Amino acid sequence: MLEVELCGIKLRNPTMLASGILGTSGAALKRVALSGGAGAIVTKSIGLTPREGHRNPTVVEINGGLISAIGLANPGYEEFGDEIRVAKEGGVPVIGSVYGFNFGEYAAVAETLQKYGVDAIELNISYPNVGKAGAFFGYSEELSHEVVKEVKKRVSLPVFAKLTAGAGDIVAIAKACEDAGADAITAIGALRAMKIDLITGKPILGNEVGGLSGPCIKPIALRCVYEIAREVDIPVIGCGGITTGEDAVEFFLAGARAVQIGTGVLYRGITIFKKVSQEIKEYLEENGYSSVDEIVGLALR
Amino acid sequence: MHEMQVVKIKKIIKETKRIKTFILDLDVSAIPGQFVMVWLPGVDEKPMSVSYTKGDLGITVLRLGDFTRRLFELSPGDMLGIRGPMGRGFKVYGDKLLLVGGGVGVAPLAPLAEEALAEGKEVTAIIGAITKSELLFVDRIEKAGGRVLISTDDGSAGKKGFTTDVLRELLEEETFDQCFTCGPEIMMAKVLDITREKKIPTQASLHRYFKCGIGICGQCVLDGIGLRVCKEGPTFRDKELRKSPEFGRYWRNAAGQKIYFGGKK
Repeated sequence: MLEVELCGIKLRNPTMLASGILGTSGAALKRVALSGGAGAIVTKSIGLTPREGHRNPTVVEINGGLISAIGLANPGYEEFGDEIRVAKEGGVPVIGSVYGFNFGEYAAVAETLQKYGVDAIELNISYPNVGKAGAFFGYSEELSHEVVKEVKKRVSLPVFAKLTAGAGDIVAIAKACEDAGADAITAIGALRAMKIDLITGKPILGNEVGGLSGPCIKPIALRCVYEIAREVDIPVIGCGGITTGEDAVEFFLAGARAVQIGTGVLYRGITIFKKVSQEIKEYLEENGYSSVDEIVGLALR
Repeated sequence: MHEMQVVKIKKIIKETKRIKTFILDLDVSAIPGQFVMVWLPGVDEKPMSVSYTKGDLGITVLRLGDFTRRLFELSPGDMLGIRGPMGRGFKVYGDKLLLVGGGVGVAPLAPLAEEALAEGKEVTAIIGAITKSELLFVDRIEKAGGRVLISTDDGSAGKKGFTTDVLRELLEEETFDQCFTCGPEIMMAKVLDITREKKIPTQASLHRYFKCGIGICGQCVLDGIGLRVCKEGPTFRDKELRKSPEFGRYWRNAAGQKIYFGGKK
Protein backbone atom coordinates (compact mmCIF):
# COMPACT_ATOMS: atom_id res chain seq x y z
CA MET A 1 0.00 0.00 0.00
CA LEU A 2 2.81 2.40 0.83
CA GLU A 3 5.19 1.41 -1.97
CA VAL A 4 5.91 4.05 -4.55
CA GLU A 5 8.14 4.21 -7.58
CA LEU A 6 10.25 7.23 -8.28
CA CYS A 7 12.13 7.39 -11.60
CA GLY A 8 12.26 3.61 -11.67
CA ILE A 9 13.48 3.37 -8.07
CA LYS A 10 11.21 1.36 -5.81
CA LEU A 11 10.60 2.80 -2.33
CA ARG A 12 8.99 0.67 0.39
CA ASN A 13 7.25 3.81 1.62
CA PRO A 14 7.14 7.41 0.37
CA THR A 15 9.13 8.97 3.23
CA MET A 16 12.71 9.97 2.53
CA LEU A 17 15.35 11.49 4.76
CA ALA A 18 15.97 15.05 3.52
CA SER A 19 19.51 16.11 2.74
CA GLY A 20 21.41 17.89 5.50
CA ILE A 21 19.84 16.00 8.37
CA LEU A 22 21.90 13.17 9.94
CA GLY A 23 23.56 12.55 6.61
CA THR A 24 27.27 13.11 7.20
CA SER A 25 28.15 9.53 8.04
CA GLY A 26 27.14 6.13 6.78
CA ALA A 27 26.34 5.00 10.33
CA ALA A 28 23.73 7.72 10.76
CA LEU A 29 22.15 7.08 7.35
CA LYS A 30 22.00 3.37 8.02
CA ARG A 31 20.26 3.96 11.33
CA VAL A 32 17.65 6.20 9.67
CA ALA A 33 16.94 3.37 7.22
CA LEU A 34 16.99 0.48 9.71
CA SER A 35 15.46 1.84 12.89
CA GLY A 36 13.97 5.03 11.46
CA GLY A 37 12.02 3.29 8.73
CA ALA A 38 12.76 5.74 5.90
CA GLY A 39 11.88 4.60 2.38
CA ALA A 40 15.03 6.22 1.02
CA ILE A 41 17.87 8.30 2.41
CA VAL A 42 19.51 11.37 0.96
CA THR A 43 23.10 12.08 1.99
CA LYS A 44 24.38 15.40 3.21
CA SER A 45 25.45 17.49 0.24
CA ILE A 46 28.90 16.46 -0.88
CA GLY A 47 31.35 18.68 -2.71
CA LEU A 48 34.76 18.49 -4.29
CA THR A 49 36.85 19.39 -1.24
CA PRO A 50 36.43 18.96 2.51
CA ARG A 51 34.60 21.89 4.13
CA GLU A 52 34.28 22.66 7.81
CA GLY A 53 31.28 24.92 7.22
CA HIS A 54 30.23 27.89 9.29
CA ARG A 55 31.23 28.40 12.91
CA ASN A 56 28.74 27.70 15.69
CA PRO A 57 26.01 28.44 16.58
CA THR A 58 24.94 26.68 13.41
CA VAL A 59 21.39 26.03 14.56
CA VAL A 60 18.83 28.07 16.47
CA GLU A 61 15.38 26.85 17.46
CA ILE A 62 12.41 29.16 17.02
CA ASN A 63 8.65 28.75 17.26
CA GLY A 64 7.62 26.46 14.46
CA GLY A 65 11.02 25.47 13.22
CA LEU A 66 14.73 25.87 13.04
CA ILE A 67 17.12 28.29 11.47
CA SER A 68 20.38 26.64 10.54
CA ALA A 69 23.57 27.53 8.76
CA ILE A 70 25.87 24.52 8.82
CA GLY A 71 27.59 25.89 5.73
CA LEU A 72 27.84 22.82 3.46
CA ALA A 73 30.24 21.07 5.83
CA ASN A 74 31.31 17.74 4.34
CA PRO A 75 34.38 15.53 4.15
CA GLY A 76 34.76 15.91 0.39
CA TYR A 77 33.84 13.34 -2.26
CA GLU A 78 37.06 11.37 -2.11
CA GLU A 79 36.43 10.25 1.46
CA PHE A 80 32.72 9.61 1.05
CA GLY A 81 32.83 6.18 -0.61
CA ASP A 82 33.07 4.36 2.72
CA GLU A 83 30.09 6.25 4.08
CA ILE A 84 27.96 5.32 1.04
CA ARG A 85 28.97 1.69 1.45
CA VAL A 86 27.81 1.71 5.08
CA ALA A 87 24.65 3.69 4.22
CA LYS A 88 23.70 1.05 1.67
CA GLU A 89 23.68 -1.57 4.42
CA GLY A 90 20.43 0.11 5.45
CA GLY A 91 18.82 -1.72 2.54
CA VAL A 92 16.97 1.27 1.06
CA PRO A 93 17.84 3.47 -1.92
CA VAL A 94 20.60 5.97 -1.19
CA ILE A 95 20.42 9.30 -2.99
CA GLY A 96 23.65 11.24 -3.23
CA SER A 97 23.21 14.97 -2.72
CA VAL A 98 25.71 17.11 -4.59
CA TYR A 99 26.65 20.78 -4.38
CA GLY A 100 29.26 22.76 -6.24
CA PHE A 101 30.68 26.19 -6.94
CA ASN A 102 30.60 25.56 -10.70
CA PHE A 103 29.10 23.16 -13.22
CA GLY A 104 32.24 21.06 -13.41
CA GLU A 105 32.25 20.45 -9.66
CA TYR A 106 28.63 19.33 -9.66
CA ALA A 107 29.34 16.96 -12.54
CA ALA A 108 32.56 15.52 -11.12
CA VAL A 109 31.08 14.84 -7.70
CA ALA A 110 27.89 13.35 -9.18
CA GLU A 111 29.95 11.04 -11.38
CA THR A 112 31.99 9.85 -8.39
CA LEU A 113 28.92 9.26 -6.22
CA GLN A 114 27.47 7.20 -9.06
CA LYS A 115 30.66 5.10 -8.95
CA TYR A 116 30.19 4.68 -5.19
CA GLY A 117 26.86 3.03 -5.93
CA VAL A 118 24.17 5.59 -5.05
CA ASP A 119 20.75 5.02 -6.61
CA ALA A 120 20.14 8.61 -7.74
CA ILE A 121 21.68 12.05 -7.58
CA GLU A 122 20.00 15.06 -6.00
CA LEU A 123 21.46 18.37 -7.09
CA ASN A 124 21.50 20.87 -4.28
CA ILE A 125 20.69 24.11 -6.06
CA SER A 126 18.67 25.24 -3.06
CA TYR A 127 21.12 25.81 -0.19
CA PRO A 128 21.04 29.51 0.65
CA ASN A 129 23.89 30.05 3.12
CA VAL A 130 27.12 29.77 1.12
CA GLY A 131 27.79 32.52 -1.41
CA LYS A 132 28.25 31.08 -4.86
CA ALA A 133 27.13 27.50 -4.32
CA GLY A 134 23.73 25.83 -4.06
CA ALA A 135 20.95 28.38 -4.36
CA PHE A 136 23.25 30.65 -6.36
CA PHE A 137 22.40 28.29 -9.25
CA GLY A 138 18.83 27.67 -8.17
CA TYR A 139 17.92 31.35 -8.28
CA SER A 140 18.51 31.46 -12.04
CA GLU A 141 16.74 29.56 -14.85
CA GLU A 142 19.88 29.59 -17.00
CA LEU A 143 22.24 28.34 -14.28
CA SER A 144 19.78 25.67 -13.10
CA HIS A 145 19.41 24.47 -16.67
CA GLU A 146 23.20 24.32 -17.16
CA VAL A 147 23.88 22.43 -13.93
CA VAL A 148 21.33 19.77 -14.75
CA LYS A 149 22.54 19.51 -18.34
CA GLU A 150 26.21 19.15 -17.36
CA VAL A 151 25.45 16.53 -14.72
CA LYS A 152 23.15 14.57 -17.04
CA LYS A 153 26.02 14.35 -19.53
CA ARG A 154 28.17 12.60 -16.95
CA VAL A 155 25.80 10.29 -15.08
CA SER A 156 23.28 7.68 -16.15
CA LEU A 157 21.40 7.65 -12.84
CA PRO A 158 18.17 9.58 -12.27
CA VAL A 159 18.92 13.19 -11.38
CA PHE A 160 16.69 15.17 -9.01
CA ALA A 161 16.96 18.95 -8.78
CA LYS A 162 16.24 20.39 -5.33
CA LEU A 163 14.84 23.89 -5.69
CA THR A 164 14.47 26.89 -3.45
CA ALA A 165 11.43 29.09 -2.97
CA GLY A 166 13.92 31.94 -2.72
CA ALA A 167 13.91 31.95 -6.52
CA GLY A 168 11.66 34.58 -8.03
CA ASP A 169 9.70 32.07 -10.08
CA ILE A 170 10.19 28.52 -8.83
CA VAL A 171 7.93 27.10 -11.53
CA ALA A 172 10.14 28.59 -14.25
CA ILE A 173 13.19 27.05 -12.55
CA ALA A 174 11.45 23.67 -12.37
CA LYS A 175 10.65 23.85 -16.07
CA ALA A 176 14.23 24.84 -16.91
CA CYS A 177 15.46 21.77 -14.99
CA GLU A 178 12.92 19.52 -16.72
CA ASP A 179 14.03 20.88 -20.13
CA ALA A 180 17.63 20.12 -19.23
CA GLY A 181 16.75 16.52 -18.51
CA ALA A 182 16.09 16.42 -14.77
CA ASP A 183 14.24 13.25 -13.77
CA ALA A 184 12.50 14.72 -10.73
CA ILE A 185 12.11 17.94 -8.77
CA THR A 186 12.51 18.19 -5.01
CA ALA A 187 10.77 21.25 -3.53
CA ILE A 188 11.74 23.06 -1.35
CA GLY A 189 14.95 23.75 0.56
CA ALA A 190 15.29 26.01 3.60
CA LEU A 191 14.45 29.71 3.29
CA ARG A 192 16.78 32.54 4.29
CA ALA A 193 15.96 33.80 7.76
CA MET A 194 17.57 35.05 10.96
CA LYS A 195 17.24 35.40 14.73
CA ILE A 196 18.63 38.19 16.88
CA ASP A 197 19.26 37.87 20.61
CA LEU A 198 17.69 40.75 22.54
CA ILE A 199 20.24 40.92 25.33
CA THR A 200 23.42 40.98 23.28
CA GLY A 201 21.70 42.59 20.29
CA LYS A 202 23.54 40.15 18.02
CA PRO A 203 22.42 37.60 15.43
CA ILE A 204 22.70 34.21 17.13
CA LEU A 205 23.94 32.18 14.16
CA GLY A 206 27.66 32.21 13.47
CA ASN A 207 26.77 32.98 9.85
CA GLU A 208 24.26 35.61 11.06
CA VAL A 209 21.61 34.38 8.61
CA GLY A 210 20.53 30.82 7.99
CA GLY A 211 17.91 28.61 6.39
CA LEU A 212 14.47 28.32 7.94
CA SER A 213 12.99 24.82 8.03
CA GLY A 214 10.25 23.01 9.89
CA PRO A 215 6.46 23.28 10.18
CA CYS A 216 6.48 27.05 9.68
CA ILE A 217 7.57 26.68 6.03
CA LYS A 218 5.11 23.91 5.18
CA PRO A 219 2.43 26.10 3.59
CA ILE A 220 5.04 27.69 1.33
CA ALA A 221 6.48 24.32 0.35
CA LEU A 222 3.01 22.97 -0.35
CA ARG A 223 2.19 25.91 -2.59
CA CYS A 224 5.44 25.39 -4.51
CA VAL A 225 4.78 21.68 -5.03
CA TYR A 226 1.25 22.42 -6.18
CA GLU A 227 2.36 25.04 -8.70
CA ILE A 228 5.28 22.95 -9.98
CA ALA A 229 3.31 19.71 -10.27
CA ARG A 230 0.73 21.56 -12.38
CA GLU A 231 3.38 22.59 -14.89
CA VAL A 232 5.89 19.74 -15.20
CA ASP A 233 5.55 16.10 -16.22
CA ILE A 234 8.41 14.71 -14.13
CA PRO A 235 7.76 13.56 -10.54
CA VAL A 236 7.83 16.10 -7.72
CA ILE A 237 9.15 15.25 -4.25
CA GLY A 238 7.69 17.38 -1.46
CA CYS A 239 9.97 18.75 1.23
CA GLY A 240 9.44 21.41 3.89
CA GLY A 241 7.92 21.05 7.35
CA ILE A 242 6.48 17.57 6.94
CA THR A 243 6.02 16.15 10.43
CA THR A 244 2.89 14.02 10.29
CA GLY A 245 1.09 11.68 7.93
CA GLU A 246 -1.50 14.39 7.38
CA ASP A 247 1.23 16.76 6.23
CA ALA A 248 2.49 14.11 3.80
CA VAL A 249 -1.00 13.48 2.46
CA GLU A 250 -1.41 17.18 1.76
CA PHE A 251 1.74 17.04 -0.35
CA PHE A 252 0.50 13.97 -2.25
CA LEU A 253 -2.79 15.73 -2.96
CA ALA A 254 -0.77 18.70 -4.24
CA GLY A 255 1.03 16.40 -6.67
CA ALA A 256 4.08 15.04 -4.81
CA ARG A 257 5.00 11.38 -5.41
CA ALA A 258 7.11 11.14 -2.29
CA VAL A 259 8.07 13.37 0.63
CA GLN A 260 11.29 14.23 2.39
CA ILE A 261 11.51 14.74 6.13
CA GLY A 262 14.31 16.61 7.87
CA THR A 263 13.57 18.93 10.76
CA GLY A 264 10.70 16.63 11.76
CA VAL A 265 13.38 14.36 13.29
CA LEU A 266 13.76 17.00 16.00
CA TYR A 267 10.11 16.77 16.97
CA ARG A 268 9.37 13.06 16.58
CA GLY A 269 12.77 11.37 16.69
CA ILE A 270 14.53 9.17 14.18
CA THR A 271 11.49 6.87 13.95
CA ILE A 272 9.42 9.70 12.45
CA PHE A 273 9.60 7.90 9.08
CA LYS A 274 7.84 4.86 10.54
CA LYS A 275 5.28 7.03 12.29
CA VAL A 276 4.48 9.15 9.25
CA SER A 277 4.26 6.04 7.05
CA GLN A 278 1.80 4.46 9.47
CA GLU A 279 -0.27 7.65 9.50
CA ILE A 280 -0.32 7.78 5.70
CA LYS A 281 -1.50 4.17 5.66
CA GLU A 282 -4.28 4.97 8.12
CA TYR A 283 -5.44 7.86 5.94
CA LEU A 284 -5.48 5.71 2.82
CA GLU A 285 -7.41 2.92 4.55
CA GLU A 286 -9.93 5.22 6.17
CA ASN A 287 -10.63 6.88 2.86
CA GLY A 288 -10.86 3.73 0.78
CA TYR A 289 -7.62 4.07 -1.19
CA SER A 290 -5.28 1.20 -1.85
CA SER A 291 -2.11 3.07 -2.80
CA VAL A 292 -0.36 6.40 -2.46
CA ASP A 293 -0.45 6.82 -6.25
CA GLU A 294 -4.23 7.06 -6.18
CA ILE A 295 -4.15 10.35 -4.30
CA VAL A 296 -1.20 11.99 -6.04
CA GLY A 297 -2.35 15.26 -7.57
CA LEU A 298 -6.02 14.97 -6.59
CA ALA A 299 -6.04 18.63 -5.63
CA LEU A 300 -4.86 19.54 -9.12
CA ARG A 301 -7.78 17.99 -10.92
CA MET B 1 12.42 23.56 22.68
CA HIS B 2 15.96 24.48 23.64
CA GLU B 3 15.92 28.23 23.26
CA MET B 4 19.16 30.15 23.59
CA GLN B 5 19.16 31.85 27.00
CA VAL B 6 21.65 34.61 27.57
CA VAL B 7 22.64 34.61 31.24
CA LYS B 8 25.07 36.37 33.57
CA ILE B 9 28.17 34.75 34.95
CA LYS B 10 27.70 34.92 38.73
CA LYS B 11 31.03 33.66 39.89
CA ILE B 12 34.32 32.38 38.45
CA ILE B 13 36.46 29.95 40.41
CA LYS B 14 40.05 29.32 39.41
CA GLU B 15 40.41 25.58 39.98
CA THR B 16 43.92 25.10 38.58
CA LYS B 17 46.30 27.04 36.36
CA ARG B 18 44.36 25.87 33.29
CA ILE B 19 40.88 25.09 34.65
CA LYS B 20 38.13 27.50 35.68
CA THR B 21 34.58 26.99 36.90
CA PHE B 22 31.88 29.40 35.72
CA ILE B 23 28.79 29.58 37.93
CA LEU B 24 25.88 30.93 35.93
CA ASP B 25 22.80 32.86 36.93
CA LEU B 26 20.66 29.99 35.71
CA ASP B 27 18.61 28.01 38.17
CA VAL B 28 17.85 24.79 36.33
CA SER B 29 18.63 21.30 37.45
CA ALA B 30 20.69 18.91 35.38
CA ILE B 31 21.56 15.24 35.63
CA PRO B 32 25.30 14.67 36.09
CA GLY B 33 26.70 13.81 32.66
CA GLN B 34 24.43 16.22 30.79
CA PHE B 35 25.90 19.13 28.85
CA VAL B 36 25.05 22.67 27.83
CA MET B 37 25.92 24.46 24.60
CA VAL B 38 27.85 27.58 25.58
CA TRP B 39 27.69 30.55 23.20
CA LEU B 40 30.20 33.36 23.28
CA PRO B 41 28.57 35.96 21.04
CA GLY B 42 30.71 36.68 18.03
CA VAL B 43 33.11 33.85 18.84
CA ASP B 44 31.68 30.32 18.79
CA GLU B 45 29.45 27.86 20.61
CA LYS B 46 30.79 24.68 22.27
CA PRO B 47 29.42 21.84 24.39
CA MET B 48 30.52 21.79 28.03
CA SER B 49 29.51 19.23 30.60
CA VAL B 50 27.72 20.50 33.66
CA SER B 51 29.83 20.39 36.83
CA TYR B 52 27.29 21.98 39.20
CA THR B 53 23.88 20.50 38.60
CA LYS B 54 21.72 21.91 41.40
CA GLY B 55 20.83 25.53 42.04
CA ASP B 56 22.92 27.78 39.86
CA LEU B 57 24.30 25.78 36.99
CA GLY B 58 28.07 25.55 36.64
CA ILE B 59 30.54 24.46 33.98
CA THR B 60 34.18 23.64 34.48
CA VAL B 61 36.44 24.35 31.56
CA LEU B 62 40.01 23.55 30.52
CA ARG B 63 41.78 26.29 28.55
CA LEU B 64 42.65 24.60 25.31
CA GLY B 65 41.99 26.67 22.19
CA ASP B 66 40.69 29.99 20.99
CA PHE B 67 37.17 29.59 22.37
CA THR B 68 38.27 28.69 25.89
CA ARG B 69 40.94 31.41 25.83
CA ARG B 70 38.19 33.96 25.14
CA LEU B 71 35.98 32.39 27.79
CA PHE B 72 38.81 32.74 30.33
CA GLU B 73 38.95 36.49 29.64
CA LEU B 74 35.40 36.96 30.99
CA SER B 75 34.54 38.30 34.45
CA PRO B 76 31.55 37.89 36.75
CA GLY B 77 28.68 39.95 35.33
CA ASP B 78 29.57 39.14 31.71
CA MET B 79 27.04 37.27 29.61
CA LEU B 80 27.02 33.81 28.05
CA GLY B 81 24.43 32.12 25.85
CA ILE B 82 23.29 28.73 27.09
CA ARG B 83 21.23 25.99 25.43
CA GLY B 84 20.36 23.06 27.63
CA PRO B 85 21.02 21.11 29.79
CA MET B 86 20.73 18.45 27.12
CA GLY B 87 21.67 14.85 26.43
CA ARG B 88 21.55 11.68 28.51
CA GLY B 89 23.14 11.86 31.94
CA PHE B 90 24.71 9.05 33.94
CA LYS B 91 22.33 6.41 35.24
CA VAL B 92 23.08 5.25 38.77
CA TYR B 93 21.53 2.04 40.08
CA GLY B 94 24.24 0.46 42.23
CA ASP B 95 25.25 1.23 45.81
CA LYS B 96 29.01 1.00 45.54
CA LEU B 97 30.30 3.30 42.83
CA LEU B 98 33.68 3.80 41.25
CA LEU B 99 34.52 6.98 39.35
CA VAL B 100 37.56 7.33 37.11
CA GLY B 101 38.32 10.86 35.91
CA GLY B 102 41.27 12.20 33.98
CA GLY B 103 42.05 15.92 33.82
CA VAL B 104 38.99 18.12 33.27
CA GLY B 105 37.02 14.88 32.82
CA VAL B 106 36.37 14.98 36.57
CA ALA B 107 33.87 17.81 35.87
CA PRO B 108 30.74 15.67 35.37
CA LEU B 109 31.88 13.08 37.92
CA ALA B 110 32.02 15.49 40.88
CA PRO B 111 28.27 16.25 40.94
CA LEU B 112 27.63 12.54 40.40
CA ALA B 113 29.72 11.79 43.51
CA GLU B 114 27.94 14.44 45.56
CA GLU B 115 24.48 13.24 44.61
CA ALA B 116 25.31 9.58 45.18
CA LEU B 117 26.92 10.29 48.55
CA ALA B 118 23.91 12.37 49.61
CA GLU B 119 21.77 9.33 48.87
CA GLY B 120 23.96 7.19 51.12
CA LYS B 121 25.89 5.39 48.39
CA GLU B 122 29.57 4.55 48.68
CA VAL B 123 31.84 6.42 46.27
CA THR B 124 35.48 5.86 45.37
CA ALA B 125 36.99 8.27 42.86
CA ILE B 126 40.25 7.77 41.00
CA ILE B 127 41.41 11.20 39.89
CA GLY B 128 44.32 11.73 37.57
CA ALA B 129 46.15 14.74 36.15
CA ILE B 130 49.48 15.53 34.57
CA THR B 131 50.71 17.06 37.82
CA LYS B 132 49.55 17.78 41.38
CA SER B 133 48.45 21.38 40.71
CA GLU B 134 46.18 20.27 37.86
CA LEU B 135 44.17 17.79 39.97
CA LEU B 136 40.48 18.74 39.86
CA PHE B 137 37.79 18.47 42.56
CA VAL B 138 39.76 16.23 44.96
CA ASP B 139 38.65 18.34 47.94
CA ARG B 140 35.12 18.62 46.65
CA ILE B 141 34.62 14.87 46.47
CA GLU B 142 36.38 14.24 49.80
CA LYS B 143 34.28 16.94 51.48
CA ALA B 144 31.14 15.19 50.24
CA GLY B 145 32.39 12.00 51.93
CA GLY B 146 33.97 10.17 49.02
CA ARG B 147 37.24 8.28 48.99
CA VAL B 148 39.75 9.70 46.51
CA LEU B 149 42.73 7.89 44.98
CA ILE B 150 45.15 9.98 42.98
CA SER B 151 47.51 9.49 40.07
CA THR B 152 49.77 12.05 38.42
CA ASP B 153 51.87 11.59 35.29
CA ASP B 154 54.91 13.09 37.06
CA GLY B 155 54.35 11.51 40.46
CA SER B 156 53.97 14.87 42.24
CA ALA B 157 50.91 13.49 44.04
CA GLY B 158 49.49 10.02 44.53
CA LYS B 159 50.68 7.24 42.31
CA LYS B 160 53.08 8.12 39.50
CA GLY B 161 51.38 6.98 36.35
CA PHE B 162 47.83 6.88 35.06
CA THR B 163 44.37 6.45 36.54
CA THR B 164 44.25 3.06 34.84
CA ASP B 165 47.28 1.91 36.88
CA VAL B 166 45.46 2.81 40.09
CA LEU B 167 42.30 1.19 38.74
CA ARG B 168 44.06 -2.11 38.02
CA GLU B 169 45.51 -2.29 41.51
CA LEU B 170 42.25 -1.32 43.18
CA LEU B 171 40.25 -3.95 41.31
CA GLU B 172 42.66 -6.66 42.45
CA GLU B 173 41.29 -6.13 45.94
CA GLU B 174 37.82 -4.68 45.61
CA THR B 175 34.80 -4.75 43.39
CA PHE B 176 32.10 -2.22 42.61
CA ASP B 177 28.49 -2.24 41.38
CA GLN B 178 29.15 0.36 38.69
CA CYS B 179 31.94 2.42 37.21
CA PHE B 180 31.68 5.89 35.63
CA THR B 181 34.47 7.43 33.63
CA CYS B 182 35.27 10.68 31.87
CA GLY B 183 38.55 11.92 30.49
CA PRO B 184 40.79 11.43 27.47
CA GLU B 185 39.16 8.82 25.25
CA ILE B 186 42.19 6.55 25.13
CA MET B 187 42.08 6.45 28.95
CA MET B 188 38.36 5.65 28.91
CA ALA B 189 38.88 2.85 26.39
CA LYS B 190 41.45 1.33 28.76
CA VAL B 191 39.11 1.76 31.72
CA LEU B 192 36.44 -0.16 29.81
CA ASP B 193 38.89 -2.96 29.02
CA ILE B 194 39.83 -3.29 32.68
CA THR B 195 36.29 -3.11 34.10
CA ARG B 196 35.11 -5.60 31.49
CA GLU B 197 37.54 -8.21 32.83
CA LYS B 198 36.11 -7.60 36.28
CA LYS B 199 32.52 -7.54 34.98
CA ILE B 200 31.78 -4.07 36.33
CA PRO B 201 29.17 -2.27 34.22
CA THR B 202 30.69 1.01 33.10
CA GLN B 203 29.36 4.24 31.67
CA ALA B 204 31.62 6.70 29.87
CA SER B 205 31.01 10.33 28.95
CA LEU B 206 32.24 11.15 25.46
CA HIS B 207 33.42 14.36 23.92
CA ARG B 208 32.85 15.04 20.23
CA TYR B 209 32.78 18.07 17.97
CA PHE B 210 29.17 19.29 18.11
CA LYS B 211 27.22 21.49 15.74
CA CYS B 212 23.47 21.45 16.38
CA GLY B 213 23.60 19.78 19.81
CA ILE B 214 19.99 18.62 19.35
CA GLY B 215 20.38 15.45 17.34
CA ILE B 216 19.67 16.52 13.80
CA CYS B 217 22.89 17.47 12.04
CA GLY B 218 24.59 14.09 12.35
CA GLN B 219 28.03 15.53 13.12
CA CYS B 220 28.53 13.50 16.33
CA VAL B 221 27.07 10.14 15.27
CA LEU B 222 29.28 7.24 16.37
CA ASP B 223 30.33 4.77 13.69
CA GLY B 224 29.17 1.20 14.06
CA ILE B 225 26.24 2.02 16.35
CA GLY B 226 24.77 5.14 14.74
CA LEU B 227 24.12 6.74 18.13
CA ARG B 228 24.34 10.52 18.49
CA VAL B 229 26.68 11.74 21.21
CA CYS B 230 24.52 14.85 21.76
CA LYS B 231 21.25 12.94 22.03
CA GLU B 232 21.71 9.29 23.02
CA GLY B 233 24.91 10.41 24.79
CA PRO B 234 27.12 11.99 25.88
CA THR B 235 27.12 9.14 28.41
CA PHE B 236 27.15 5.64 26.95
CA ARG B 237 27.12 2.10 28.32
CA ASP B 238 30.21 -0.04 27.86
CA LYS B 239 28.29 -2.53 25.72
CA GLU B 240 27.25 0.26 23.32
CA LEU B 241 30.79 1.59 23.02
CA ARG B 242 32.32 -1.82 22.44
CA LYS B 243 30.26 -2.08 19.23
CA SER B 244 31.70 1.17 17.89
CA PRO B 245 34.99 0.93 15.97
CA GLU B 246 35.27 4.69 16.52
CA PHE B 247 35.46 4.66 20.34
CA GLY B 248 39.00 5.11 21.56
CA ARG B 249 40.32 5.43 18.01
CA TYR B 250 39.07 8.53 16.23
CA TRP B 251 36.64 11.43 16.14
CA ARG B 252 35.33 13.56 13.30
CA ASN B 253 36.29 17.16 12.66
CA ALA B 254 33.88 19.87 11.52
CA ALA B 255 34.15 18.62 7.93
CA GLY B 256 33.25 15.08 9.03
CA GLN B 257 36.74 13.70 8.38
CA LYS B 258 38.12 11.07 10.74
CA ILE B 259 40.86 12.33 13.04
CA TYR B 260 42.74 9.57 14.86
CA PHE B 261 43.64 9.98 18.52
CA GLY B 262 47.39 10.24 18.83
CA GLY B 263 47.61 10.94 15.09
CA LYS B 264 47.85 7.26 14.13
CA LYS B 265 45.48 5.14 12.07
